[in-house]
Amino acid sequence: MMRASPFSYFAPITIGEVAKILAGEGPRALLLAGGTDLIPNMKRRTQTPAVLVSLRRVAELRGLANGRIGSAMTLSSIAESPHLSPHRALIRAAAQVATPHIRNAATLGGNLCLDTRCNYYNQNYEWRQAIDFCMKRASDGGGHPVRNEDGVCWVAPGSPRCWAVSSSDTAPALIALGATVTLVSIAGRRELPLNDLYCDDGIAYLTKPSDELLTEVVLPDATGWRSTYWKLRRREAFDFPVLSVAAAVKLASDGTVLDARLVLGAVASHPLLIAEAQELVGMPLSDDAIERLAAAAARFAKPLDNTDFALGWRKRVARAYVTGALRELRGDDPATLGLLARRATALRPLS
Amino acid sequence: MKCVGKNVLRAEGEDKVTGRAKYIDDLSFPGMIYGHTVRSSVARGRILSVARDPAFDWGGFTLVDHRAIPPGGRNIVAMIVEDQPFLAVDEVRHREEPILLIAHADPERLAEAVAHIEVHYAPEPAVLDLEHATTVLKELTISKGDLEQGFAQADRVVEGSYFTGAQEQLYIEPNGVIAVPGVDGKSITVYGSMQCPYYVQRALRLLLGLDETQVRVVQTTTGGGFGGKEEYPSILAGHAALLACAAGRPVKMVYDRLEDLVATTKRHPARIRHRTGVQRDGTLVAMEIEVDLDGGAYVTLSPVVLSRASIHATGPYRAPHVRVRGRVLQTNTPPTGAFRGFGAPQSQFGIELHMDRIAEELGIDPVALRQKNLYASGDVTATGQRLDGSVSAHEVLERALQRHVKKKRPKKKDGLLRGTGVATFFHGSGFTGGGEVKLASRAGIELTPRNVRLLVGSTEIGQGTRTMHAQIVADTLAIPYEWVETADPDTARVPDSGPTVASRTCMVVGRILQRAALDLQQALGPYRTPDEFRRRSRKLLAKRPALQFIAQYDRPGDIRWDDATYQGDAYGAYAWGCNIADVEVDPITYQARCTRLTAVIDIGKAIHPLLACGQIEGGSLQAVGWALYEEVVMRDGRMANGQLTNYIIPTTLDTPEILVELVENPYPHGPFGAKGVGECPVDGPAAAILNAIRQATGVRLNAIPATPEKIMQAMDAR
Repeated sequence: MMRASPFSYFAPITIGEVAKILAGEGPRALLLAGGTDLIPNMKRRTQTPAVLVSLRRVAELRGLANGRIGSAMTLSSIAESPHLSPHRALIRAAAQVATPHIRNAATLGGNLCLDTRCNYYNQNYEWRQAIDFCMKRASDGGGHPVRNEDGVCWVAPGSPRCWAVSSSDTAPALIALGATVTLVSIAGRRELPLNDLYCDDGIAYLTKPSDELLTEVVLPDATGWRSTYWKLRRREAFDFPVLSVAAAVKLASDGTVLDARLVLGAVASHPLLIAEAQELVGMPLSDDAIERLAAAAARFAKPLDNTDFALGWRKRVARAYVTGALRELRGDDPATLGLLARRATALRPLS
Repeated sequence: MKCVGKNVLRAEGEDKVTGRAKYIDDLSFPGMIYGHTVRSSVARGRILSVARDPAFDWGGFTLVDHRAIPPGGRNIVAMIVEDQPFLAVDEVRHREEPILLIAHADPERLAEAVAHIEVHYAPEPAVLDLEHATTVLKELTISKGDLEQGFAQADRVVEGSYFTGAQEQLYIEPNGVIAVPGVDGKSITVYGSMQCPYYVQRALRLLLGLDETQVRVVQTTTGGGFGGKEEYPSILAGHAALLACAAGRPVKMVYDRLEDLVATTKRHPARIRHRTGVQRDGTLVAMEIEVDLDGGAYVTLSPVVLSRASIHATGPYRAPHVRVRGRVLQTNTPPTGAFRGFGAPQSQFGIELHMDRIAEELGIDPVALRQKNLYASGDVTATGQRLDGSVSAHEVLERALQRHVKKKRPKKKDGLLRGTGVATFFHGSGFTGGGEVKLASRAGIELTPRNVRLLVGSTEIGQGTRTMHAQIVADTLAIPYEWVETADPDTARVPDSGPTVASRTCMVVGRILQRAALDLQQALGPYRTPDEFRRRSRKLLAKRPALQFIAQYDRPGDIRWDDATYQGDAYGAYAWGCNIADVEVDPITYQARCTRLTAVIDIGKAIHPLLACGQIEGGSLQAVGWALYEEVVMRDGRMANGQLTNYIIPTTLDTPEILVELVENPYPHGPFGAKGVGECPVDGPAAAILNAIRQATGVRLNAIPATPEKIMQAMDAR
C-alpha cells in the first residue's frame, strides 16, 4: 500500500462553509467524515482527491431527533439509538457494517455515499496497473472516479458500462423504510427520495453533483410498519455484503398488507427497489404471495462475477433470503429462519 | 518459587503491549533507501529482454539484476536442492518470480519507475495445478510388512481420495528486512522479521561469497511466522543485501499485504489417496496410501514437508501391512513452503476422513473404530519405530469424549442441520529422523554479576519462546524467573540453536538450555538459596565480566534412523491429540459453522499452561479457517484474491467455543517432560469439522475449504 497522495485540508464549522468550499473546489474536493473507506482508498489510489473537507467540526450534521438523522452520525450510534428502534431495518443494517471499530468511526452519510466496489477496482495501484486499469479509474487530483476511455470492464469485457457493485448496507434499508435525504449546496437545499440518489452505473453511481453535501436523512413515521434487513456474507463480521435484502411492510390489524417495499443490495450498481412488492398490497402475507415475490426478486438479482462467492450460489440464496425476510415480517418464529436470521436477531435485543 | 507449570508474565509482553517493541518497519538507518522487486508476469517462459524506458529519469535509482551477484557468490537460495535463483537469469518458472530489484530514497517513486521497465518473455506452456502436474521433485516410500498379504486378510477394501487447498500463514506483520552494508564493503548486517537467523546467514554467505564473520543477521521483534518466515526471509534478505551492496546504503524492503500474499510461500495443496484393507470387526490390516503435494516451481523445503506428511499419513493407527508413497510434484506456481504442521495436517486430514468412511461402510461407530486401532505402548509404526512411554492416543480420545459430552446442549428446532465429528492425531516433535543429529544445535547461558542471560538462536515469534526458555532455566538453577533474561537473536552474539520450527523449541532447544544450566550448576558447586547462587556466581566470575556455558544437542541414546530405507525412530517423541467438533449447517445459505471444538492434547508437560493453551486455541482456529474459509483462488498461476477482503480468515465471531484440555504424559528426554506443542493443534480440526458436516447433512465432502458453494453442490447432487 502506498501513502496517500498530497492533498489540502479544510476543517469548516458550518454547513454553509462546507457548501462554499465545495462550490469553490469542484470535483477536486472530497468530504471526509469517518474516513474508514476513503483513507484506505486514497492509499490504494482508487480515490485521489486534491482537497479534503473534514466534517468533524460540523456539529449541525450530528443530530438525531424526530426521524431526522444527521449524516455525520456514526453507525454505532445509530445501531444503539433507542429512538430508531421502530426502524428495525436501519438498526440491523448499521449494526452489521464491518466491525465495531469501523462502526465507531464510519458515518451514515459515508455509508450512503460509499463508492461502488469491484474485484478489479478495489485493488492497490500496482495490481490495477498490471491489468492496464479497468474502465473505472481515479481521476488525477479528482476525488471521484472517472471513466477510463482506454479501459475495459474486466467483469464483462464487451460492456459499454462499469458494473461495480453498490455495497452499502444502510442504503437498501433506508430505501425500504421510505427515507428521503436532504442535500445542500450554495444554490440551496433540496429533498430527494433516497432511491433517487442512486444511478445504475458503477462509476457515476450518485445522481447528486459533487458540490452537494448530504446533510440528513429523514425517516417517515413508522407506525404500522415492520421492517428487517438480512445480510449475506461469508463471515459473521467485517465483510461487505454479497447480497442483502431489506424489506418493510405495513400491515392492517387483520394482517392485510397495506404497503410494502423490498430492496436488494449488492446485486447491482445501485440498491435495487423491487416494484413487484406492490403486488402484495391488499392481500395477507401468505406463503404463496411470499414465494411469488421471492421468485420475481430473484429474477432481478443478477449478480456478476465481481465480488466473493460463485454466482449460482448467490442467486439461489437471494430467493431464499427474500422468503426468509418476509416470513420474519409476517411474524414467523425467527428461530425457524436459519442461521443468518438468528445472527441478525442476536446482534442486539430489539424492543 | 518453582515457575515451570505456572503462568508467569511473558518476558517480552510489556514491550509489546506498550508499543516499545520495535518491528522492522519501525526501524530506520541514516541514508536508508527503499527496495522493491520487479516480478515475472508469466507463469513460465524465457526472458527475452528487460528494457528500461530511456525517456524516464533514472537518476537516484539503484537497479540490480542477477549480474550484480559478486564474484565468489552464487545465484542460489541455499536450501535442500540448488535449483532456485535469487533473481531469474533467462527463464522464469512461476508468476511473481523475482527478476530485477530497484531502490530509491523515495518509496513513492518506485511504482512510477516500475511502470517504465518492460520485461519481454517468450511464454512456455505452464502446469498450474496438482491435477495436471507430472514432474516429480521428490518421492519416497515407507514400507512395513507385506501389502498383498494384508489385503488377503481383509474382509473389505475401502478406498477414498481427499484434497486440501493452499493456505496462507497470514502473520500480522508482513515479511520485511533492512540490509546495512559494512563500511569495509565486505560485510553486511541484515535486520528482519524472521524465524531462523542462521538460515538467513547461510543464504547470504552463499549469495555474497562471504564467511560467517562477514554476515550478521539480527531478528527484530517479529509479528508472527507460522512457518511463513522459515525459509522465505532468506530470499528477501538476499534481495535487500544485493541492493545495499550496490547502493552502498542501507536498504529497507517491507512487503505490503498484496505482495506478501501473491509472492511468498503457502501450505502445500495436497491429494491423499487411501486404499485400506479392514476386517469385519474394524481391525485395519492393510493401508496403502499415496500422498501427493504441490511443491510449486522450486524444491525449497518440500522434501522434508513430504517426509513429515508421509510419516504421519497413517494417522495414529496400527496396521501390520503399510505402504506410503509420497511425491512432491512441480507446478508453475510460487513455491509452497513451511506452514505450521509441515505436511502432517494434510495427510492426517486424509486418514481422519477415511476412518469415518471405513466406519460407515462397516456400520461401526467412528469412535469405536478408532479405539480399536489407535496406537498403544508397544505398537510399531510404519517406519518400524516401537512406541514406548508417553503414548496417549487412547487417553486423549477418552478425555475428549468426557469433556465434550459433559457440555452437551438440548437440541433446538431451528431448521439448522447439526452434526458432531471426531478426529484423533499425533505429531512428532523436532526434526524428522536424523535431522536433529545433523543440526547439532547449540545453546547456552551467560553468567553475569547481575543475572543469567540465555544465548539462544531460537526466536520469539509470538509463541512464547523467551518466557518458556527462561522458566526452564530458572527452575533448573532454582533461581527466580525474573533473574533470567534472553539475548536478542543475533548471529554475532548467540550460537546456532537450529531453526525455530518443527515443534522443537521447547523439547529440543529447551533441553539443551537445561543441560547448559546443569553445566553452570556444576561449575558453581552446591548452593541452597538463590542468594547463595548469586554469591557463588560473583565469586566464580571474580573479575570476569561474564562466563558462558554452551551445550550441544545430545542424542538420547536409544534413537536410530536410516534415511535410505526410511526406517527407524522418526521422532524422539510424539504429541497426541483428539478433536471433537460441533457443526451447524444452514440449509438456506449452505454455510457451515463450527460452534464448539474440543481439543485434548498431550504435550508432555506444559511449561507455561496459559501459553500452551493459547498455542492450541490459535492452532485450532487456524485449522478452522483452513477447513471452512480460507481459499487461495489461483488464476493463470497467480493468487487472484490477494487481499484480506477476499482471502478471509475467521473473525472472533466465527471462532467456535474452544475447549482445551492439556494432558501431561512426560517424555523423559524433554525438559521437565515437555514435548512439542506448536504444530499438533492444526492436525485435527479440519477433519473433525468435515466429519461433522457429513453427519449434519448426509453429504460427504472430500475437499477443503468446505465453502457454501461446495456444500450446496454436494447437497444438490444427493
